[in-house]
Amino acid sequence: MIQFFQVTKYFDRYAALRDVTLRVDKGECVLLTGPSGAGKTTLLKLIFGAEVPDEGQILVQNRNIARLRASDVPYLRRTMGFVLQDFKLLPQKTVFENVALPLIIQGTAGLEVRRKVSEALKAVGLDHKRGSQAAGVSAGEQQRVCIARAIVNSPIILLADEPTGNLDTNLTMEIIELFKAIHARGTTVMLATHNRQVVEEMKGRIIRLHSGRVLSDQGVYSETNSLSCP
Amino acid sequence: MRRILYLVRETIANIWANRMSVAIGVVTTAFTIACFGVFFLLYWNLKNLAGSLQDEIQVMVYLEPDTSKVMVSGVRRHLEGEHAVASVAFISEQEAVKDFHQQFPEESSLLDGMGDTPLPASFVVTLAPGFQSSELVEGLAERVRGVPGVEFVRYSRDWIDTLGLFVSYLEIGALVIGLILAVATVTIIANTIRLSFYARKKEIEILRLIGATGSFIAVPYVVEGAFLGVVGGGLSLALLKGGFEVFRFELDASGWFQGLDSVIAFFPLQISILLVVTGFLLGSASSLLSVYSLLRSRA
Repeated sequence: MIQFFQVTKYFDRYAALRDVTLRVDKGECVLLTGPSGAGKTTLLKLIFGAEVPDEGQILVQNRNIARLRASDVPYLRRTMGFVLQDFKLLPQKTVFENVALPLIIQGTAGLEVRRKVSEALKAVGLDHKRGSQAAGVSAGEQQRVCIARAIVNSPIILLADEPTGNLDTNLTMEIIELFKAIHARGTTVMLATHNRQVVEEMKGRIIRLHSGRVLSDQGVYSETNSLSCP
Repeated sequence: MRRILYLVRETIANIWANRMSVAIGVVTTAFTIACFGVFFLLYWNLKNLAGSLQDEIQVMVYLEPDTSKVMVSGVRRHLEGEHAVASVAFISEQEAVKDFHQQFPEESSLLDGMGDTPLPASFVVTLAPGFQSSELVEGLAERVRGVPGVEFVRYSRDWIDTLGLFVSYLEIGALVIGLILAVATVTIIANTIRLSFYARKKEIEILRLIGATGSFIAVPYVVEGAFLGVVGGGLSLALLKGGFEVFRFELDASGWFQGLDSVIAFFPLQISILLVVTGFLLGSASSLLSVYSLLRSRA
């Protein structure tokens, strides 16, 4: 599904990722951990084609990211869902409109849009807020809107960058449960976080990054290997 | 359908959100196109004037004194045989004197004591359409000069040539000024669109993230530019028409250039539409220029 072969990425002269080789199979749940500046966000950006590697190769769903034309990047992204720390919602639009956006972009028919948006909103427990302005709902709800938008077009891969960064413990737990449910449906989930609660609860494969290098890739979290966690 | 609806809504939202800069853009575009329009209107009218004057070019063929009737017939036959000649009218020596008295009654005394026929007989030659260029008229005059009985040939070539030259200079001027103003219009609209673009940078980032193509994002901005151009073009047309009517009213009131009323005219419908279409094209091109980088970027 996702393969990195000795990938290095520089920003100016600083190497954000160095010689990274990894493989993520379909349906896996991968937790990218590490301190700020470790390269977690860069790694995600390379997967969704916002950046190209300076060295090495990346295959995402058998597509070579380095060789992907700029005009093909949007089509790659349509197979993915994104959840970000700062939600990235359109504040002046309603919850429904925000969630419907990926479907509208793809030219989905009106009835289908309504059906899929309702399903996604029900999945995150926000169907009753469909008419509210995105800016008017709470932070936890905004993150759930963001998740609904990410899953509305049934993505193959779900990428999340610090999705609980702005949330308290209770809300974090809610979001974790949603991610677990999405993963249980067979979606490949890659989640960058340095929240210990998320790592413990998600029980996914943990890839620990430091200064752009893979420090460890040690399988699921357990009490015995907890020391490797952030 | 939903996608089109979304794009229409986004365009309206863009225009509304940036209504102040859009209004400024429309007004500046209108004035820029109107500047070109003034020049073009001047060129258009002078070209029409030159054309109508060329249509009226007459060649005067003066005959030698006491030319026999046979010779006069010979000259007429020669003239009528020329392709460039549409019609020929003979003015006898007596008719010439009569015409002079009618046209210049105050100067009638000038002919006193010069005998009964002080003015030569002549043929007034009206040229056929398409034969009014100075080269063709010169060729005709050259041939007619050699016909027996013809004393000299005269036509108002010099000032027609001068007018023609002036019109061609004006044509070049209109082209150069048109190009400069087109660049100015493109810059104004492109900057307006760029402002609108930067104001919604965050939104564009989100759209890109969820898989919107560059063209999907660009469409509202291109439509906004086209709207700006069309409204600017329409407004410039209204300004021009208003200015033109005021000018014509003033001209009528002053009494100058009487008789030119039929020649001075505003643009016909096709040219008026063309002016608005020019606005549309400039607007679309400007916004495409502003969002070009977006269409090529992958981030």
